Amino acid sequence: MDKIKYITPFDEEYPDKLRNIDNSPEGIYIKGSLPNKDAPCVAIVGSRVCSEYGKAMAKEFAKELAKNNVSIISGMARGIDGIAQEAAINAGGKSYGILGCGIDVVYPISNKRLYERVVEKGGLITEYPPGREPLPHQFPQRNRIISALSDIVLVIEAKKRSGTSITVSRALEQGKDIFAVPGRLYDACSEGCNELISQGAGIAISPDIILKALGVDSNRQDSNAFRVPKLTKNEKKVLSVISFSPVSIDYIQNTTEISLQELFEILFNLQLKEIIIDLGQGNYIKKAPA
Amino acid sequence: MYYKVNSGIMLGMNAHLINVESDVSEGMPSIDLVGYLANEVREARERVKTAMKNSGYFIPAKKITINISPGNFKKSGTGFDLPIALSLLGCMDIITRDILNDTLCLGELGLNGEVKPIIGVLPRVLLAKEAGLKRVIIPHDNLCEGAVVEGIEVIGVKTLNETIDYLNNKCQIEGMQLSVEKMLQEYAGKEYIDFCQIKGQKALKRAMEIAAAGLHNLLMMGPPGAGKTLSAKALPSIMPPLSSEECLNISKIYSVAGLLDSGGIKLSRPFVNPHHTITPQALSGGGAIPKPGAVSLADQGVLFLDEIPEFRKETIEILRQPLEEKKIVISRANATYTYPADFLLVAAANPCRCGYYPDRNRCNCSEVEVKRYLGRLSGPLLDRIDICVQTKEVLFEDLVSIDNLSETSETIRQRVLSARERQKYRFKDDDISTNSHMSPPLIEKYCKLTKREEEIMERAFIKMQISARYFHKILKIARTIADLDESDNINPNHLYEAMGYRFSI
Repeated sequence: MDKIKYITPFDEEYPDKLRNIDNSPEGIYIKGSLPNKDAPCVAIVGSRVCSEYGKAMAKEFAKELAKNNVSIISGMARGIDGIAQEAAINAGGKSYGILGCGIDVVYPISNKRLYERVVEKGGLITEYPPGREPLPHQFPQRNRIISALSDIVLVIEAKKRSGTSITVSRALEQGKDIFAVPGRLYDACSEGCNELISQGAGIAISPDIILKALGVDSNRQDSNAFRVPKLTKNEKKVLSVISFSPVSIDYIQNTTEISLQELFEILFNLQLKEIIIDLGQGNYIKKAPA
Repeated sequence: MYYKVNSGIMLGMNAHLINVESDVSEGMPSIDLVGYLANEVREARERVKTAMKNSGYFIPAKKITINISPGNFKKSGTGFDLPIALSLLGCMDIITRDILNDTLCLGELGLNGEVKPIIGVLPRVLLAKEAGLKRVIIPHDNLCEGAVVEGIEVIGVKTLNETIDYLNNKCQIEGMQLSVEKMLQEYAGKEYIDFCQIKGQKALKRAMEIAAAGLHNLLMMGPPGAGKTLSAKALPSIMPPLSSEECLNISKIYSVAGLLDSGGIKLSRPFVNPHHTITPQALSGGGAIPKPGAVSLADQGVLFLDEIPEFRKETIEILRQPLEEKKIVISRANATYTYPADFLLVAAANPCRCGYYPDRNRCNCSEVEVKRYLGRLSGPLLDRIDICVQTKEVLFEDLVSIDNLSETSETIRQRVLSARERQKYRFKDDDISTNSHMSPPLIEKYCKLTKREEEIMERAFIKMQISARYFHKILKIARTIADLDESDNINPNHLYEAMGYRFSI
């Protein structure tokens, strides 16, 4: 069991990145470690309610950045936050979670396992004393620490009005760069991101863009992320209508006009090739690269 | 003076013969009604007295004892007024001695002497026939219900006076006889919704065809307004037409429940859709002597539970026994009642509270909320559901398109029928009739896989993390799909399709 540390601006350890912001925390509680002063840090943020596309993107960006020794900072929340942190740790990188509650309070409880892993492979940071309940007003507050500790804020998916926009405004006040992952128009989950882009945010079309902005040389080999194994003509046809948002077998059938019987076989084979996932109830979705 | 009339009583689904005996002797004028009687039976005294007076017969001022025997179980229900009146009239020498020896009488009397309809006529007429009686006298309003029993004379009467005149040969009443077979033919599924009325929804229609062919329980998931209820209502139209035996069995249940109208018997395959606020008692059958509940009313038909996550947990638990044993046993202080409950379960659910998951443009439910919502479906229930299918919202194009390709129910039913024939032949030595009822040893016996299919299942088992229980479900469904395909062996295609009807959260 790691000890909880408490440090104030009078301690040398106290991150400079936090000293220089408005409303700098009077002290922070730490479990695990603090981000390395020289290591590049990227905050990956997004909504708690996210689409499969958002999940896939959070995983992809977190993984590639972590592989290049970029620390991933986020809010340990459900959805994008947790997924990105999990992916960073899975890729052997470091991740830091900024909490909106006491450091010994696990919220949401579904992220319990992630808590333990983040303490081990990075650290938990909060300005609230141990035992503090996760009160609603504390979450917007902690967002300023997320943006302050990172060099770049990457928004994966955000609805028009969400907590993510608070992180973004804090980041802008603090002079950080904002990147957003573009989404489809009319896709409610991507509306916030597209708006950010229209306002001048960086367009995160690949992890390389972020790495470049950080000044990190990419040691990325040709990513096999979106490489697709050999497929038959009909498999390709079916795959072309399955995206990161779930589609029903009826929809696939109507669009491709392949008979149901044949379709079942194709869908089965695509599952075996690990390109799509059967969500149950006849819904299919493209699988995010592992 | 003593006189005896045969009648019948319903105990749950079972009819029992009883005797109504009257004795008129000298003594203090009184009328005593004995025989372990419930209140409604005891009240018969006043009804009979008044009805007889208003029909022109005065009860003599003597000591009258009326006994309903045997006395060892409680008599409830109506229908004893007419036998009581006739036994009294027998004692008064108004009707001939011995004329009712081979007759079973049933009927409630109004104060003016009219004979009113009662419930549970059909099972009691069947009982009379089995007991070797020659004739039944029943209320005229119940005539069509009783007339379907062959081999017994069924007389419908409207008033007490008419009954007396008939028994004294002052008027003729012809016995009525209806042929169930003929009625079923004439009916030919008029009430059903036809499948060609369901627009789009190819996957759903296919799933329903499989469900009907192998009697696999079905779960439909989909957003509001996707036609879940409509399709469920259409399901009976592709199930095999009722046989006369099935028809009589169903009608017996409906007769006991008092749900048969004067048109006679139940000719359509039952479709029962209780609201999700239904109590456990209403689903299983309730009351001191339980009336058939929704599970029994759905016997041989479809039990449709819309919004199944909204049902109370205790209510859903009731389904366990019927799904397992095809009957429901209800225990009461005085007896245990068994009702048939062999139905095809069709459940419908929204995928989440708002109903639009996984459409993230409209659904704002968190993953946890979605899981929690579907988590309300209990494991034992899901175990019994073989097929799970997604319904999609009906698009405008679907609505307005003149879809000539849509199959009618009759076409689908033909395929279902031939699949059922294959199953009947296969299970001729086993005591089941459809694929869904196969036990693991039978699955092993009848769902043999060749090397090629085994490899597919092995790969699926590893890659798709299939549980052993789900493995059996796949085989059962694949067997039905193969039957629909008129194939003796299960081919890869059948397996692929069977795996497409998976439920997961």
